[in-house]
Amino acid sequence: MFSSTAYTILAVVIFFVMLIPLLILSEFIFVEPFFTFHIPYGQGFGFVLILAVCVMSAIVIPMNIYRIKILQKSTSKIGTSIFGSIIGASAGICSCGPIGFALISTFGAAAGTATAFLSNYEIPLRLGSVGLLCLVYYTTTKSISSECKIN
Amino acid sequence: MNKKLILLAVFAVMIVSVVLYASSYYSQLMQMQEHRINVSGPAPVNLTNGSPVLGSPNAPITIVEFGDYQCEMCYHWYHNTRADIIDNYIDTEKANLVFMDLPGLGRDSFTAAQATYCAEDQGKYWEYHETLYNFQEAVDNGWASKDRLASFAFNLDMDVDEFNDCMDTAKYAKRIKANFDEGVRNGAQGTPMFLIISPDGAVKKIGGAQPYSVFSQVIDPML
Repeated sequence: MFSSTAYTILAVVIFFVMLIPLLILSEFIFVEPFFTFHIPYGQGFGFVLILAVCVMSAIVIPMNIYRIKILQKSTSKIGTSIFGSIIGASAGICSCGPIGFALISTFGAAAGTATAFLSNYEIPLRLGSVGLLCLVYYTTTKSISSECKIN
Repeated sequence: MNKKLILLAVFAVMIVSVVLYASSYYSQLMQMQEHRINVSGPAPVNLTNGSPVLGSPNAPITIVEFGDYQCEMCYHWYHNTRADIIDNYIDTEKANLVFMDLPGLGRDSFTAAQATYCAEDQGKYWEYHETLYNFQEAVDNGWASKDRLASFAFNLDMDVDEFNDCMDTAKYAKRIKANFDEGVRNGAQGTPMFLIISPDGAVKKIGGAQPYSVFSQVIDPML
């Protein structure tokens, strides 16, 4: 499937479209006053998990688009992979940054509770998201290889 | 077919939203940067409600930190960058530091901020500030509850009854609100945020828990 240029480009686009904003919002990349890339001591694991979520999303989402388009299969797996990507992307990014600040300023205590949950459980949520994406990868690979088998 | 299209549309909207948000955030930052370049004259930041000055009041540069005691990024800045700032700029009297509260993350953020000013009444503002950043845990999990804040005061040999009276009467609620408003007025969009005020009153903003190298690159040309 990834021998097709279109799916490879889609995977690369998904990877970078997820990675760059996530690194900015998680304060690994700063654009002001200078462009700075920085992994603070103690946040290495968080960085690795962001990379893992982006890599898995970039693999799993094009695979499921292929599966739906070529094999005319159900859309349930792509839904799960998008759900996994959203969970992985939203965990932690709300903590102290502009999104959390804007949400709390606009919606008050309810948003405060939601952002506190996403901050406090950032690592377990991202781990869960990676696990979910791995599961979708496994089932999708199995599905594609069995459907594409030449008898 | 319709289901597929809907899912693809949802995904496309999600990607477009993220890209739009990131680009608007970036352009906002750029606009604020342009605004700051034009700032001159006396410091536009009102520091009267902030913390006591850490370092020499006559230092040519003032570093203003807007922070929240429950903010994880503020914790990382405190533990990774602050010590180098203290060693190289505060202790050498090149700069001083003022902390202003921007409590928004949870219900205990506000009470923790109040507690620091109650500690200031007993001459222990910075000791209390340091204690909070050393004992920070997850947002609103009880680490900054009223009882815990009182126990921090007790451990710092403060008069706990006086401290509790100060907390119960919300003596510094207005001061913290004023700090918050000052942060918002100066374009705070999260914590920590730093304003570096040069001797001629020009202000440069550093948003987020940025490394020491960024601070030195901003501060050194001002000296």
